[in-house]
Amino acid sequence: MKEITNKIQAAATKLFEEGKIDVFLAWEQQGEYEFQTNSYVARSIEDVKNIVFNEYSIYNVANTLLKLRDGQERIGIAVKGCDSRGIVRLLEDLQIKRERLYIVGIPCPGMKDPLTAARNHGGFNKKKIEDGLAKKCLDCIQPNPVIYDELVGPEQSPRQQGDRFQKIKELEQMSADERYKFWEDTLSTCIRCYACRQVCVACDCRTCIFDEMKPQWVGRETSTTDNMMYHLVKHAHMAGRCIECGECERVCPVGIPLMLLNQKLIKDVGELFGGPEAGMQYVEGAKPALSVYRENDPDNFL
Amino acid sequence: MQYIGLEPERYQTSWISGAEGIKFQETMAKLVSDVKKLGPNRKLRDAQ
Repeated sequence: MKEITNKIQAAATKLFEEGKIDVFLAWEQQGEYEFQTNSYVARSIEDVKNIVFNEYSIYNVANTLLKLRDGQERIGIAVKGCDSRGIVRLLEDLQIKRERLYIVGIPCPGMKDPLTAARNHGGFNKKKIEDGLAKKCLDCIQPNPVIYDELVGPEQSPRQQGDRFQKIKELEQMSADERYKFWEDTLSTCIRCYACRQVCVACDCRTCIFDEMKPQWVGRETSTTDNMMYHLVKHAHMAGRCIECGECERVCPVGIPLMLLNQKLIKDVGELFGGPEAGMQYVEGAKPALSVYRENDPDNFL
Repeated sequence: MQYIGLEPERYQTSWISGAEGIKFQETMAKLVSDVKKLGPNRKLRDAQ
């Protein structure tokens, strides 16, 4: 990890010296402990020393690009496999230009969950939680960056094992009432903090349907109905766009298994449209399945 | 919607032109009979 940090810092220093970039996006350590990480924007060569890549650099740094999308800065960015898929998504959505980016790819060895580490570290609960790789990293199918200008570190192999959609298939087998019960139990705990929206790379709308007050499309009450509407609408928008970075599920303060919704859509889009999954390859001008309009669409659902 | 446990029969989509009165009548009759079989909806109702 230290090696990779050094390599990222060297790459960033070189880019700043050559004047190729104005900002460099990576991770930093915010506090005393190594699990207190966050995304970091280095704005000058002096900032480069703050860049840290350790086993808790789990934050999807591609999300930070959204804050810089309206500017003119040339951006250097360090990405893991999932982050690079996020970049492909943003490029496909024309949120940012490829010319503005210099991408340093990191084949990701898998990250640990900072929250688990924080829980193990302090508080009243001294019972240790097993400190393995984060769930999203155990289900990872693309640890190597799909788009990069420079690669640091050795290539990794996918960690996902067994049937990816096992859970989804189990849910599909249930009856409608059982499924409703399951989702009612799960989604009624939602506190509508919108963390899953904020952290999502695919959520790149400037005006969000859930912020609109006039007209108010979705109720803001934390009732089961409004929660279900929120999650239905939010995750239906992710169809064909979710890059499976698993950040929504990781940041959820009440632990809703949101990837069950996303993976169902990934499965359905894969079955209905085929083709590569969201963000798995970048072809200039290519569009994800549900962003294309063709007059000869079969429309056979009508 | 089906995935979170709503009955698919409750939501139906159809493309009917203003000139297709009979098709509209048939579609509505089908919708009503489908929903009647299911009985009243108790899901997603706690907001009212």
